[in-house]
Amino acid sequence: MSMHDDDQAMAANLVMGLLDADEQAAAERRLTEDAAFADAVSAWRERLADLDATADPVAPGSGLWTRITESIQTTPASVPLRDGQSSARNVTLWDNIRFWRAAGLVGASAAVLFAIVAIGAVVASIQLRGDLVALAQRKPVYVAVLVNDTTRETGAIVNAFADGRVELIPLKSIDVPAGRTLQVWTLWDRTVGPKSIGLTDQARTLQLDLQSLPRTIQDQLFEITLEPEGGSPIGRPTGPILFKGNAARAM
Amino acid sequence: MSAALARCAAGDRAALQVIYDSEAARMIGVARRILFRQDLAEEAVHDAFVRIWQGASGFDPQRGTARGWLYAVVRNRALTIHRAEHRYDGADESALEEIDCEAAIVRLPETSALRNCLERIDRPRRDVVVLAYVHGMSHSELAARLKVPLGTVKSWVRRSLFSLQECMG
Repeated sequence: MSMHDDDQAMAANLVMGLLDADEQAAAERRLTEDAAFADAVSAWRERLADLDATADPVAPGSGLWTRITESIQTTPASVPLRDGQSSARNVTLWDNIRFWRAAGLVGASAAVLFAIVAIGAVVASIQLRGDLVALAQRKPVYVAVLVNDTTRETGAIVNAFADGRVELIPLKSIDVPAGRTLQVWTLWDRTVGPKSIGLTDQARTLQLDLQSLPRTIQDQLFEITLEPEGGSPIGRPTGPILFKGNAARAM
Repeated sequence: MSAALARCAAGDRAALQVIYDSEAARMIGVARRILFRQDLAEEAVHDAFVRIWQGASGFDPQRGTARGWLYAVVRNRALTIHRAEHRYDGADESALEEIDCEAAIVRLPETSALRNCLERIDRPRRDVVVLAYVHGMSHSELAARLKVPLGTVKSWVRRSLFSLQECMG
């Protein structure tokens, strides 16, 4: 084996999930920089992969795919930038028969599209009433505006709904250094202490997990802290508080 | 699956759904073995799909299989939630005790090289591999479960992985 035993062990332990937060951050950095290490990690994944197939399939809840599509709406795929291939060749559009064929097709499809939109509008007005009713039920019961203590900037809002759902919506992007993560906490009772309700590596809309906690109440504190990757190792905030705010009843 | 990942990297959302339709149920099963709770397992799979969408261009088919890569993402997200959630409080204690280390091994196909090589390692040394990989246990959780010192767990892990590597190549 060409690789040092310690490196092999690091690769294996990364795949096993046995590294602590710091080691894991270091290993993940190495994955991007060290091809031999990345090969070793892949080899370990392949060796152990059969174990994944031994899990019983469990049907996902009906809303899961919708939630995934909502989340990726705001996060575009890592689309490689296309360089100007056509502009490199010195040919004008007038010369390009494919362009004019395409233009003809686009014109025809526009007419079809208009017809579809017109029909759709009628259907939509019927649906609109239903949507408005649904929207009213979507109004949060409590809202917390999370503000940075020193800059007074608003970073995010938390909405708590009547059905117990709680979501966090970021209002600005947050710089998260490599190996760190954003962790969301709530505190409703000082004797219990803060509880972790969400973890994300970037500012994005999050469904917070408060199912095991009591219903959101007036003045309940929500905050976002910067923690080591994988979240605070001690179950309480350890990093700086980026934004915090108290819940208030929505009018 | 590899082609679907390539299409994801090009921004094709239908390809992500192909992966979802084919793998989501198994992925939730994998996450549930670590997190026990259905809601947390779904959260892990949700986060995994966001990662898969964003990181699809990072998958290198020369290096390994698409499935290996996809499930690594799922286990990574499940472990992150597991470490943050402190699963081992209260209600889950009993579920934890019911974990059967051999269950996953006997479900491996008879022809699986992994199975043959795991079976050559004596228990309880091979248990650490299953408990860590399948159930997401950390070194200290393994030490508590197997009632041995932390140092012993670490050396069992190291020796088991070494013999797996020797045996499987």
